[in-house]
Amino acid sequence: MFGNYGQRYIVLTEKDINERQEEDIGKVSAVLSIRREEACVLLHHYKWNISKLSDEWFADEEKVRDIVGLLLNGIDLPNSRKLTCGICFEGYSSDVMSSAGCDHFYCHECWEGYISAAISDGPGCLSLRCPDPSCGAMVLQNMINKLAKDDDKVRYARFILRAYVEDSKKTKWCPAPDCTCAVEFVSDGNYDVSCNCKFSFCWNCTEEAHRPVNCETVSRWILKNSAESENMNWILANSKPCPKCKRPIEKNQGCMHMTCTPPCKFEFCWLCLGSWAEHGERTGGFYACNRYESAKKEGVYDETEARRERAKNSLERYMHYYERWASNQTSRQKAQADLQKAEKEQLAKLTDVFGIPETQLKFIIEAWSQIIECRRVLKWTYAYGYYLDDKVKSEFFEYLQGEAESGLERLHQCAEKDLQSFLTVRSDNTEPAPSIAEFGDFRVKLAGLTSVTRNYFENLVQALEAGLEDVHSTAQGTTSSNATNIPSKKAVTKGKTKKQLPRTSSDNSDEGWPCERCTFINPSSVDACSVCDKHRY
Amino acid sequence: METQRLLSEPAPGISASPSEENMRYFNVMILGPAQSPYEGGVFKLELFLPEEYPMAAPKVRFLTKIYHPNIDKLGRICLDILKDKWSPALQIRTVLLSIQALLSAPNPDDPLSDNIAKHWKANEAEAVETAKEWTRLYASGA
Ligand SMILES: [Zn+2]
Ligand SMILES: [Zn+2]
Ligand SMILES: [Zn+2]
Ligand SMILES: [Zn+2]
Ligand SMILES: [Zn+2]
Ligand SMILES: [Zn+2]
Ligand SMILES: [Zn+2]
Repeated sequence: MFGNYGQRYIVLTEKDINERQEEDIGKVSAVLSIRREEACVLLHHYKWNISKLSDEWFADEEKVRDIVGLLLNGIDLPNSRKLTCGICFEGYSSDVMSSAGCDHFYCHECWEGYISAAISDGPGCLSLRCPDPSCGAMVLQNMINKLAKDDDKVRYARFILRAYVEDSKKTKWCPAPDCTCAVEFVSDGNYDVSCNCKFSFCWNCTEEAHRPVNCETVSRWILKNSAESENMNWILANSKPCPKCKRPIEKNQGCMHMTCTPPCKFEFCWLCLGSWAEHGERTGGFYACNRYESAKKEGVYDETEARRERAKNSLERYMHYYERWASNQTSRQKAQADLQKAEKEQLAKLTDVFGIPETQLKFIIEAWSQIIECRRVLKWTYAYGYYLDDKVKSEFFEYLQGEAESGLERLHQCAEKDLQSFLTVRSDNTEPAPSIAEFGDFRVKLAGLTSVTRNYFENLVQALEAGLEDVHSTAQGTTSSNATNIPSKKAVTKGKTKKQLPRTSSDNSDEGWPCERCTFINPSSVDACSVCDKHRY
Repeated sequence: METQRLLSEPAPGISASPSEENMRYFNVMILGPAQSPYEGGVFKLELFLPEEYPMAAPKVRFLTKIYHPNIDKLGRICLDILKDKWSPALQIRTVLLSIQALLSAPNPDDPLSDNIAKHWKANEAEAVETAKEWTRLYASGA
């Protein structure tokens, strides 16, 4: 294999693992001039550390042989006479008796049972010794292959493969259920890896990927969640009473924008239960439902007054973060399902209806991939926020998180709901079919939102990974009510080296105008940004 | 078969006889070893050979009450060869000899019965007295 250069990690399939293992065994058996099965038990004993094994071997071969139970000279079978099996005490002729190289002979039936019992006890069978308690002779793989049942041979070989991955400090199994790949970690630093099976996980702690939050925060958070799981069950419930008409509304979509069923049709936010109309320009464009403090002040928790009385203040705070963490998790799963649906059915349908080749519909796939990644990041930032106890940093963090979250909500809504109008082809002609021009507008909007959201999240990730250090020098005295007085504009735009949107060469109004806030290029025909609603002037 | 060998080569102070209804079930008697707190006692045990025997260890338990740090209230025995150190090359005879040896050398550092082990460590002389007392009370062979 070449070209590992610069890779942070390597995904190994079962075949790769097998090849590497065979290579190691071959190397050791050549260098130490021993049989392959002997090399195999030695390597297992030395946890596949070849240099340690050969150092100790060449320093004191006899000692290593003694520890591992490798006899120097096998004992030849005593001439074909009758022997008594040391387990069943039956007499057998020597051609149906075997020993592990020592002079303790057992009949093949007893060997089969002995090996089988050891293998069903687990990976300890890789250092199985002669049945005689006073003898340490190692039972090697060629004995297993000669004497064990077929399925035991397979299981034994699997244990060797597993041990190869599990003993090494550099390889770990992919934690996804049903995945048989392992990941070798090459460099330091960022531990997030993505397996062939598409599962992303943190190589260090094997939890699902949680960048930019560190492993310690994640494990504290997961521990906290399991301690509180009883209190939190109600949050996982998938329905809430509509804040206006009190009928239970089920959340069956990924974005947080809820619309109550007719006749109520009240639009509200799943997380804060506030009116959705207040989640945008009308509040100065300031997204605040990620904030624990403001949610408390405005008394929106009145809905849960009874619960609140029971709960202590700290539990209430935890609930705020937990609910947002869990909701993003659910939304992410929904988005993953939606991505699959798009790939499997929707693109083909759009090609059918609008005659656009699927290659030009990639922006939909990109949007969903971005949503999935952002939901993951956003989810973990709630664990981060829960443990953040610096007041100034908190404010800056919540600002960045709020910007990112509101961008993501717009993107998710656009991908989820706007797309639907192009997929429902009406045969009854009650409404005019959407035109190809309308689809073009949709494309511009969705692609724009994707790139804007990506920017917001890059900023958020960068700021968190830098430990929110910029905040103290630039964010003094900012209040959260004024959107133009953005805390640390420096940090927000810093590091944005690439612009995802094609830029026109000048401010030529025929070419559209770039939004001051979110960088989206708007058509000159509109005066408010079609992405973030900010006015042009 | 092992059973015949066991019966034909008995170990001193140990007897084992298969039950009539179940050839896997043995009634065992062990005499308390000399110079131990159990001297003079006759201890009844039951021994059962599981289906997997000899690949799995026999199950042995004291029926007679005994005051010993490695034996609990139910008569279960803490002995490595009955657990992870079991080997099919060991025999019933070896197991019973090991149990007899355990009576001569209690090991309070690897206890099965915490209270008795504590007692043994805190005041061995007194614990030994209790063991002798129990032997008189419960294992006099009557
Ligand atoms: Zn045999
Ligand atoms: Zn041997
Ligand atoms: Zn995987
Ligand atoms: Zn981690
Ligand atoms: Zn309603
Ligand atoms: Zn909200
Ligand atoms: Zn904008």
